[in-house]
Amino acid sequence: MSDYLKPLPEIQPHSKAFWDATKEHKFLIQHCKDCDSNIFYPRRDCPECWSNNLDWIEAGGQGTVYSFSVTYEGVEEKFVADLPIILAWVDLPEGPRINTNIINCEPEDVSIDMPVEVVYVQATDDVVIPYFQPVKR
Amino acid sequence: MSIAVIGIAEVPTIRDPDRTRWDILLDVCMEAVRDAGIDKDDVHAVISPNPMAQPAMANDMALGKVPEVLGMKGCRDIAIANAGGTSNTNCLRIAKSLIEGGQADFVLIPHTTVQSDIPSEDLINFFATAPLDKQWEYPYGVTFNGSMGLITNRYMHETGATAEQMAAVTVSLRAWGALDPNSIFYGKPVTLEDVLNSRIVSTPLHAKECNLLADGGGAMVVTSHEIAKNFEKAVYQLGHGTRFMSATPFMRKDLFHRKAYRESSTDALAQAGLSINDMDVRQIYGAYPYTQCSALEGYGVCDEGQGAALWAEGRCGPGGDLPCTTMGDATGRGHTGSGVSMAFYLETVRQLRGEADDRQVPNCEHALLTTSGGSVMNTCTTIFGRSPR
Repeated sequence: MSDYLKPLPEIQPHSKAFWDATKEHKFLIQHCKDCDSNIFYPRRDCPECWSNNLDWIEAGGQGTVYSFSVTYEGVEEKFVADLPIILAWVDLPEGPRINTNIINCEPEDVSIDMPVEVVYVQATDDVVIPYFQPVKR
Repeated sequence: MSIAVIGIAEVPTIRDPDRTRWDILLDVCMEAVRDAGIDKDDVHAVISPNPMAQPAMANDMALGKVPEVLGMKGCRDIAIANAGGTSNTNCLRIAKSLIEGGQADFVLIPHTTVQSDIPSEDLINFFATAPLDKQWEYPYGVTFNGSMGLITNRYMHETGATAEQMAAVTVSLRAWGALDPNSIFYGKPVTLEDVLNSRIVSTPLHAKECNLLADGGGAMVVTSHEIAKNFEKAVYQLGHGTRFMSATPFMRKDLFHRKAYRESSTDALAQAGLSINDMDVRQIYGAYPYTQCSALEGYGVCDEGQGAALWAEGRCGPGGDLPCTTMGDATGRGHTGSGVSMAFYLETVRQLRGEADDRQVPNCEHALLTTSGGSVMNTCTTIFGRSPR
């Protein structure tokens, strides 16, 4: 797996649980036990109430495409093999909007409001990155 | 009490690695001071926008080389401001504070940028990683163009703006740029077909709707309203409002910045005692075409979702009844990093002085200018006028 050339996420102490969970094929969302907010991306402190009484909930792994953009050029060399890349913002029913790629999908088949589901890709031995793909009918 | 611009200078936006950062810098500093008609030793402070992706030049500017090299014996202090596209806005704010605090009569704000000697791979990396999140965006191949493509796609989805209407924005911006000797596109207008037939970079953005990174520089001399009354060519700041949204685009609730445009312009206009209908020109620095549309919606020039139609009808381009963005924005002029907003301020001064030649808006007395930094993290709206209030 050491042939992974793309940048890996810069994992922070307060996001480590998220990236540990993706290795178990779970998508965690940070949750504030004081003000009941669902938080994405993970922070050290709740951005709503500044509490550090934070926990995690497991998301269902479903979402809908809020917007997308198919990138054909203008990327660094390490991303060129992946072109075209379908960039997407996906709304999760748990509240947060996240940034991801839609994979296992042709560029002409992606659309706004399309239902998608999480899919996990082993990047290196230590890092599993969540992507989304069209919900299989 | 507020500030006024009394001297300006600019070098043409081009790509030429033989024109060095320091050559640009020295030229614009000397020309702006001469344009103001003051002595170099009258400059009490040099406040510089951070030259993005150029760390050696940034260090020179941050640590005082500019007044030293130019022998500005009256200089009391220097500062550098880094807020991406709003760096120059922050320079004006620092200048205002020094002037109002009695520490400076005249402040010089110089910008220089050379990107043509930086490998394109490094520039893509800089513009992808500087404003974007290295954990939640960069690993997914998000670029600056991709990020703006995501916003533009949603804008078109919600408003029903067509690809032809969006391309018309670039046609008008390039039409302004074609009239501007300081634009990299001087004498080079494009047609709707040119835009729509150019390569797709990140849907829905075509290559001609994205930015050509280039070299440039400019400078302003600012002073107080009171002192400016002795300077015939002075242009007066009449109001300023600002709103922050988010660093990261996908976190943004006000995705098209309409609320931020509305609130920042409302504050600025109230200070100026003017309304949006008093503005003779609207200068919108957004660097991507959708901002030229959503800004007009936010200002209340048109209803939500109607901005693209105004551009498509030719009303915002040369000869239109709602002239906007007469320096062409980054897409119509070339992107000089933190220098685009400098070029916006300089063009606004030219319009109000009546020195904008073929781009001159008739009887231009009041101008609204909005700058934005990062991935449109903020909207900083300033009202300028030919006379003080």
